[in-house]
Amino acid sequence: MQFIMPSVGKWIAIGLSLIIGAAALYLRARIATPEKSDEGYKAAKKKRNLLMMAGVLALWLCSGLVLGCFSLGSRVFEVAISPTRMDILGFSVSSTVFIAWVVIAVLVVAAALIRIFAIPRFKETPRGLQLLLETAVGAISNLTKEKYGHKNEGLASYFFALAALMVGSAIVELFGVRPPTTDLSMTFSYALVTFVLINVYGIHKKGVKGRLQSFTKPNAVIAPFKLLSDLAVPISLACRLFGNMLGGMIVVELIYYALGAFSVGVPAVLGLYFNAFHPLIQFFIFINLSLTFIGEAVEE
Amino acid sequence: MTDIGLIAIGAGLAVLTGAGAGLGMGIATGKAVEAVARQPEANSKINALLILGLALTESTAIYGFVTALVMIFTMGK
Repeated sequence: MQFIMPSVGKWIAIGLSLIIGAAALYLRARIATPEKSDEGYKAAKKKRNLLMMAGVLALWLCSGLVLGCFSLGSRVFEVAISPTRMDILGFSVSSTVFIAWVVIAVLVVAAALIRIFAIPRFKETPRGLQLLLETAVGAISNLTKEKYGHKNEGLASYFFALAALMVGSAIVELFGVRPPTTDLSMTFSYALVTFVLINVYGIHKKGVKGRLQSFTKPNAVIAPFKLLSDLAVPISLACRLFGNMLGGMIVVELIYYALGAFSVGVPAVLGLYFNAFHPLIQFFIFINLSLTFIGEAVEE
Repeated sequence: MTDIGLIAIGAGLAVLTGAGAGLGMGIATGKAVEAVARQPEANSKINALLILGLALTESTAIYGFVTALVMIFTMGK
């Protein structure tokens, strides 16, 4: 990192934006908020909001100009489709796999702590953490029941664990590391588990013969196509999740690259969509589709 | 024309799949809105079906996107 002496014009711009920002925020504090029933309530509120916006905008401009004085070397936009590899105890391990291990460890510790300390204290009327946990477990259990046909505790707990792992691995992006779901081998392994579950549940319910016979319904001619579409399920699940996650990551990287020194505050707002809301929707779709395919395999 | 130029054209063509996916998703959402307007009590069922349909529709766009990414990141090397 290296400090570059800004030119006179830049100094003036920094000072001006700082003064404007501070003045706007000071003026905002000076305007007294009238009572809600008063005459000038709406006008005063509008003025306060405008001054707040102007102040924040000017301070944002100032911070960008100041940060622009520090050069961080040459900035090149670079996103790799495969994550970097690292050596752990002599094994070459992908960085996303290592992060996934960290997420799993944190989740296991959290689950153990909740089991030991929180669950014995659960009361008849849920509050706080208990309410949160009961809502989450109830949502997954209802989804499983709806798609699978009847209650299945094993399936519901697997999908709850999967949801926890996926949400955990999406949150690590907020700490600046590459999330595990942007690795195709990771999403493909999730999808492979779904593929195994489809066949295990199908065979468990109908037997090997019944499972094979289900490919010939309604007509023996379409058996190869049905087989092909069954084999395509893990690939389509894996590619869908991977493409969505990598796309979101690339968009966030592009925002950082395009804003340069001005990337203060703005990426956080956009990150709320790309790092929090968008992954949650994708995970819901992944679990929903997995359950739909499993439900399809077991239905009579 | 260089190789990288041809790869760029190919990647651009691959992400054109997004146009079809966008059209399909728009039609599906429009129909869902119509259905909810006609039968507001079936809201939750229509919502679940819509999300499933959108996920399946979207996959064409995602396949195009992944193809374009693979072209850019692996063929250019």
